[in-house]
Amino acid sequence: MDEGRALFLQIAESVEDSIVGGTLAEQERAPSTNELAAFYRINPATAAKGVNMLVEKGILYKRRGIGMFVAAGARAQLLAERRAAFAERFIAPLLAEARKLDLDADDLTALLREHAAAASTTIEGTSP
Amino acid sequence: MSPVIEVAHLTKRYRETVAVDDVSFVVEKDTIYGLLGRNGAGKTTIMSILTAQNFATSGEVRVFGESPYENAHVLSRMCFVRESQKYPDDATAAHALRIARLFYPNWDQDLADRLVEDFQLPLTRRIKKLSRGQLSAVGVIIGLASRAEITFFDEPYLGLDAVARQLFYDRLIADYSEHPRTIVLSSHLIDEVAALLGHVIVVDRGRVLLDESAEELRERATTVLGDTATVDRFLSGRDVIHRESLGRVTSATVLGALSPLERRELADAGLELAAVPLQQLVVRLTLHAADTETREVVR
Amino acid sequence: MNRTLAVARMQLVNKQTFIWVPLLIIAGAFVVSWLIYFIITSAMGDAPARGQGFNGASQAALWYFLVIGVQAMSLTFPFSQAMSVTRRTFYLGTGLLAAGTGAVLATLYTLLAVPELATGGWGVGSYMFAVPWVTDGAWYEGWLFFFAVTLLVFVLGFWVATIYKRFGSAVLTTLLMGLALAIVALIALVTWQGWWGNVGAWFAAQTPLTMALWMLALTVALGISSYGTLRRATP
Repeated sequence: MDEGRALFLQIAESVEDSIVGGTLAEQERAPSTNELAAFYRINPATAAKGVNMLVEKGILYKRRGIGMFVAAGARAQLLAERRAAFAERFIAPLLAEARKLDLDADDLTALLREHAAAASTTIEGTSP
Repeated sequence: MSPVIEVAHLTKRYRETVAVDDVSFVVEKDTIYGLLGRNGAGKTTIMSILTAQNFATSGEVRVFGESPYENAHVLSRMCFVRESQKYPDDATAAHALRIARLFYPNWDQDLADRLVEDFQLPLTRRIKKLSRGQLSAVGVIIGLASRAEITFFDEPYLGLDAVARQLFYDRLIADYSEHPRTIVLSSHLIDEVAALLGHVIVVDRGRVLLDESAEELRERATTVLGDTATVDRFLSGRDVIHRESLGRVTSATVLGALSPLERRELADAGLELAAVPLQQLVVRLTLHAADTETREVVR
Repeated sequence: MNRTLAVARMQLVNKQTFIWVPLLIIAGAFVVSWLIYFIITSAMGDAPARGQGFNGASQAALWYFLVIGVQAMSLTFPFSQAMSVTRRTFYLGTGLLAAGTGAVLATLYTLLAVPELATGGWGVGSYMFAVPWVTDGAWYEGWLFFFAVTLLVFVLGFWVATIYKRFGSAVLTTLLMGLALAIVALIALVTWQGWWGNVGAWFAAQTPLTMALWMLALTVALGISSYGTLRRATP
C-alpha cells in the first residue's frame, strides 16, 4: 500500500488493474468489500469507498444478494481512460527525468524504438 | 452521522497533574477509531472515564445519549478490557471466558473458541501464570468475542509478537466486516494500525491534537524535499511542523493540503513531494506541540 | 442469567477461596481438636464435660471469612468492572454470595451439632459445633448466631478492602488506628466510671438471638458504609 495516494483510490485501481490485465473478466464476480479489506488489511469502509467509486464510474454493478460484478464494456472503458491519462502519467515524468539527464526528444525516440524492438523479440521468443 | 459517544470539555485532575485537559470529541457509530498518543498521554484515562471505571473531574460524557455511570443498560453494551487487566486470583483463561459469556449479551462462543485456537491460548493454566503475550491474548479474545456495540482495545498488542498482532488485526477486520460495530483502538504502534482506522484522534498530554477521518489525514500534511534555499522560500508563511537539513538539502513537513497547481509549481522548482505516513505525522505533530509549548513557557 | 447471580457465580471462580480453604480449615480444626481431647480423655480417664476448657476450634474458619471478605473485593472487583458490571450489581451479587456462605456455614454447624452432642463430643468431649451457650437454646437461635457472625466478619473484611481500594493504605491505617483508639478510650471511660458491672449485666441479659440481631445491625451499618465507598472506587 503506497503512502502517496488515498487508500480507496489504490483499491479501486488494483481492481481496475485486474480488469485491464484480464485476470478479472467482464460479468465475473468482483471481490467483495470484506474480501478486499481482509486481503489488503484495511478498514472495510475504505474498501467500500473504492468499490463505490467503481460502481459510480460504471465499471462494476451490483447484483442484489449476490455481490459486485464487472460491467460489460468495463475493460474497453478503462483502456480508453488509461490511454487518455497515459501522457500525463508516464510521458510527463519521462520527459522530466530525461531533461535531468540531458536527453532530448530525438534521444528519447531512439531509445524508445530500440527498447520496443528488443521487447517484441523477447515476446516473440516466448509466445505460445 | 450518529454519535454513540459524546464527550464535552472532559477534564480529569489528580492532585498535581491534569491527566485529561478539556477534551471534547464525538465517536460515530460503526467506525474504527484510533486513539493515538504517547505513553501517559491520557488515552487509558479517557477510556476509563467513558466506561465509568474512572470519574471525570468536570465535563460531560454521554454514551448512547446517557450518562454511563452505574447505568447497566449502557454499560452492558460496552466492553473495555484494559492493558494490564486484573483477573480473579485462581481464574484460568477458561474461567475468564466463561464469565465473560455470562455478562456480554452478544457473546459469540464459536468466535471465542476459534480465537483461542488461533492464539494458542492454554485454557487450563491459571491466568497469573500466563506469559505477557498470553495475558494480552485473553483480553483480545474477550474484546473480540464480546461483539459489544462499543469495544475498546487498550494497547491490546502489548506482549503479542508480530505474528499474533497481525492475527489480531486480521480477525478484527474480518469480524468488523461481518458484524459492524464501534471500535476504539488505542495504540502507539501507529503505522501498524494506520490502514485499519476510519478515524483518528491524537491525544498529547491530556489534550486532543488531532481529530479527523483517516482519509482527511492523508491531505493533512506534505513533506517537501530539495535544495535548502528553494524549500525555505516555500516554507515562509506556512505551518511547519518539522524541518531537518543534510548539507544543502532540506526536508520539511508542512501542514495543509497542496493544490494540484502548487504541486506542479513545486515539482517544476525541482522539489520532491511526499505524503506523510500517519506515524510520522503524529510524531511530528506531537513533538511540534511540545516544542511550541516549551518556547511559549520560555517566553 | 440475571447479572446479580452472575456476579455470585463469578466470585465462586475462586473455588479455593470460597469453598476448599474454609472446608479445609474446619476439617483441620476438627481433627486437631479431636486429637487434643483424645489425649485429655486418655489422661483423665473420662471425657471432660461440655463447656469445660475452651475449644477454639469453632472459630477457626471464622477468621478466614475475614480474608474471604477482603478478597471478594480486592481480587474480583477489577474484573467485574471489565465485565461491564455496575458497582451496584457487583455489591448485591457479592452480598448474596456472602449470605449464602453464611447460611451454609450456619447449617453445617447446626447439623453437625446433633451427632456431636449424641456422641458426647465425638467420644472424647471435643465440642466444636455445639458451642456452649450459643446452641443451648432453640436450633434456629444458634443458626442465626452462626449466620450473623460469619456475615459480620465477611462484611468487615469487605469494608476494609473497599476503603483501601478507594482511599489507599494511608487513610485505611489512620482509620483503623482511630477506631482502635476510640475503643481504648471507651474502655478507659467505662473503667473510670465503674460501669463494668452494668456492661457485664447487659451481656448476661443477651441471648444468642439478641446477639445475632446486634451483629446483623452492625453488618448492615458496615454494608451501607462499604456501598457508599464502593460507588466511587476505581478498579
